[in-house]
Amino acid sequence: MRTIMAASLREKQTAALKRMLNLNQEPSRSSAVEPVWKVLVYDRFGQDIISPILSVPELRDMGVTLHLLLHSDRDPIPDVPAVYFVMPSEENVQRICQDLRNQLYESYYLNFISAVSRQRLEDLASAALQAGTVPQISKVFDQYLNFITLEDDMFTLRHSQNREAISYYAINRGDVQDSEMEASMDAIVDSLFSVFVTLGTVPIIRSPRGNAAEMVAEKLDKKLRENIRDSRNSLFTSDSLQAGQFSFQRPLLVILDRNLDLATPLHHTWTYQALAHDVLDLQLNRVSVEEPAGEKSPQGARPKRKAKSYDLNFTDKFWQSHKGSPFPEVAEAVQRELEEYRSQEDEVKRLKSVMGLEGEDEGAISMLSDNTAKLTSAVSSLPELLEKKRLIDMHTNIASALLDHIKVRKLDVYFEMEEKMMSKQSLDKSLMDMFSDPEAGSPEDKMRLFIIYFICSAQTMSDAEIDQYAVALQAANCDLAPLHYIKRWKAFTKMTAAPSQYGGGGTKTISMFSRLMNTGSEFVMEGVKNLVVKKHNLPVTRVADALIDNKSYQDTEDYRYFDPKMLRVTDSSIPRNRNPVQEAIVFIVGSGNYIEYQNLVDYVKGKSGGSIKRITYGCSELSNAMLFLKQLAKLGSELH
Amino acid sequence: MAVDRTNLFLATIKTVKTRNKILNIGSEEAKSTASIHPRPKGEFVVRAKDVIQNISKLRDFLLKHRKDYIDATGFLTSEVSKMTDNERDQIDNDAQTFMRTCSEAIRIFKTEVLKQPMPQQVRSHREAVFELMEAYLKAVCKLYSEQRAIRVKRVVDRKRISRLEPEGRRTGTDMTELRQRHKRARAELNSEEGDHKSETDDSKVMKNTPASDDPLQMEYWDEDEDDELSPEEIQMFEQENERLYNEMNSLVDEVRQIEGKVVEISRLQEIFADKVLQQEVEIDRIADTVVQSTENIKEGNEEVREAMKKDAGFRVWILFFLVMCSFSLLFLEWYS
Repeated sequence: MRTIMAASLREKQTAALKRMLNLNQEPSRSSAVEPVWKVLVYDRFGQDIISPILSVPELRDMGVTLHLLLHSDRDPIPDVPAVYFVMPSEENVQRICQDLRNQLYESYYLNFISAVSRQRLEDLASAALQAGTVPQISKVFDQYLNFITLEDDMFTLRHSQNREAISYYAINRGDVQDSEMEASMDAIVDSLFSVFVTLGTVPIIRSPRGNAAEMVAEKLDKKLRENIRDSRNSLFTSDSLQAGQFSFQRPLLVILDRNLDLATPLHHTWTYQALAHDVLDLQLNRVSVEEPAGEKSPQGARPKRKAKSYDLNFTDKFWQSHKGSPFPEVAEAVQRELEEYRSQEDEVKRLKSVMGLEGEDEGAISMLSDNTAKLTSAVSSLPELLEKKRLIDMHTNIASALLDHIKVRKLDVYFEMEEKMMSKQSLDKSLMDMFSDPEAGSPEDKMRLFIIYFICSAQTMSDAEIDQYAVALQAANCDLAPLHYIKRWKAFTKMTAAPSQYGGGGTKTISMFSRLMNTGSEFVMEGVKNLVVKKHNLPVTRVADALIDNKSYQDTEDYRYFDPKMLRVTDSSIPRNRNPVQEAIVFIVGSGNYIEYQNLVDYVKGKSGGSIKRITYGCSELSNAMLFLKQLAKLGSELH
Repeated sequence: MAVDRTNLFLATIKTVKTRNKILNIGSEEAKSTASIHPRPKGEFVVRAKDVIQNISKLRDFLLKHRKDYIDATGFLTSEVSKMTDNERDQIDNDAQTFMRTCSEAIRIFKTEVLKQPMPQQVRSHREAVFELMEAYLKAVCKLYSEQRAIRVKRVVDRKRISRLEPEGRRTGTDMTELRQRHKRARAELNSEEGDHKSETDDSKVMKNTPASDDPLQMEYWDEDEDDELSPEEIQMFEQENERLYNEMNSLVDEVRQIEGKVVEISRLQEIFADKVLQQEVEIDRIADTVVQSTENIKEGNEEVREAMKKDAGFRVWILFFLVMCSFSLLFLEWYS
């Protein structure tokens, strides 16, 4: 039997947020606690952090009556404490000072997302003195929650604010200045530091040499080292460790650069969550689906499409179990859930009629009490049933929307071709056919396909061939800028080994007809291939696997090794600590995506007998293929 | 892990203050700020806090008396349980009226406050405050209704046990168990009755064979352990016992009477049997005779028929003879 796993990153962050919302005290566990009203003020980053984790009803339960953006017009609300959750930037602090001067609230609990500098503290102090509101500032806290947790084991650093500063584009730009680079690195290091403060452990860091990842690793190591040495203010003292976390079980942090693998972000996806991100633009666990309205309006105008947004988070059991499954499986699973729900509904209805018949039988008291027990159980299960119905409806809508997109853009064909390319099987349809087919997908899809082909082709393509393809692509309205950048990237990295890293994959097409006969599914997936993906490891997973098991793998032999707890900084690649790794965190400097996340999750599941219990995936920003392609286009256009 | 910077902040304030004093900036402001009293609390907040405090009082009261109210171990102690049913009823009524007044008060307060004009954010804040108040009241009411549900369930179960269903599904061991508990509870009063009861109970046990009872026995065992015998229950049991005793007595008398009657009946039946046997002989004879006479009559009928037939033939001959004689006479007369 496994030992109890330590709380996941999301749980720790939720606990920290709840403590903050409880006016920085531990929330009590007794029943029916008196509500304490408060107003929550956040900036955009605070909003991004809170929204995937705590929903509005949960905020209500914690006593938050109003939640407002910092830089909005706010009316004075007397006699209410205000909880601020903001980044300690200059403009935020100025706005807080303004609030203090206007005396908007009764008392102020200031929680800064990352550490606040002395200068800002002094600004606050002088503003408070001027306004005479010093006794009203009850607490000032540094929360160290400078990251956004999307899943139990996935986090990203930025979403809506300051995203560009740490994107792939910013780091790999040709004309990036040293100071800008330093600023980006510092931002990333700050966030990673907060991650480890929240986890409460000091990791062992490994990173490749010679790129942005190495810089991040060095800085992080330095920062952790300084903090541990400073025994007065250390954040990693033993009383912050909970039981069950032994100090010699340290997680392994693997920092990788996006340049390791440029094909995966552009890859067409086939699993549910990745599809939602790619096609429907899943942002902070929220999807927006266009729904066609019922009938056409009488004038025969186009039916209005309203957009409904759905939350997909960890309370949704169906989502949790199926977010990594291939799309056809999802369709079947939705069908199954629907039938299950219908049978439960019928049972409840039958119970209703049974109760009506037997209610007059006075002699059978025990039967009556049985019936009342059944009735109470039915009544209490009704809300669950309704919730289930809502979830099933939501997933049906989302899956249908995905299916529409897939059919229109022929995404299944793209996926199949890309998988074949990545595993170096021969292609059924040649690339030229795909590019000249006007119906198959948008120009971006074709561009993605070509870039993947280019990256994965073992022999270098001659310039003539490339030009041929370029002409075909331009005929299809594609923007060729990314291609220039990729050419240069390939030349730089000389990753001739890269194509082999994708090997072992591939697809099998199962005939759809047998499935249709069996399930009679609502999702008429004719014309869409039912592709089954064989399990294989993406480059990121391979690297992680090698480092976790201390295997020697030709690419990772030269990785650097950092241990902040060691006394001296060494520049070695030899790991000193050879304990089996229980927990690992894989961080990508640049943009991450759900495909890699899913691959890591599958890897952990596949290794269930082994030592590794959990791998957390992190990235500096989460972008889908479109955004990444845009960044590549910008980089490419700058080359000229 | 969040780091508390409040102390650092306060220290910073002190440094800024001293710095300002040194630089003589804003000294008048410092004086004026020192003289600002803490702002008086708004009326809304005062009233809202009052309501919350009242609800908290109710909650504390319910929690404090919860143990006594539920009283899970009352039947094991020798004394009467700590809370009579009257007290429980009173708690119920009081709690109900209190909750009703609270919800009324909240409603009135809400309509009053929302009528006033106020900025949008303050309005939504106050609406949320009312929602939270109502949710809190609901949580406390849930506490109360849970307690009450447990109590009602106990009463229903008690009634079920004490009613003694007609098929007598109880086993002897069950009854003796109850008796033991009962004896423990009322030992000083029931010694005499207890003896009687055990007698009659034994007889009852002999008469009532247990049906296939294992699950039921388990059920009753569980319920008995959960159950406590309050004085109400003890009284009910006593009454039942009295009734049973009287029933048993009357049954015994009736049985004896029936016995006597049955003996008489058997004697009379013997006499009947003798007579009947005698009559049997006679009747046999008569039967034979009757049979014979029927046969004679049948023969007689045959004879008579024959006779009638012969008679008819004889008459025919006589007639013919006479007719012949007359014809001969006629002929003789005609011819002579």
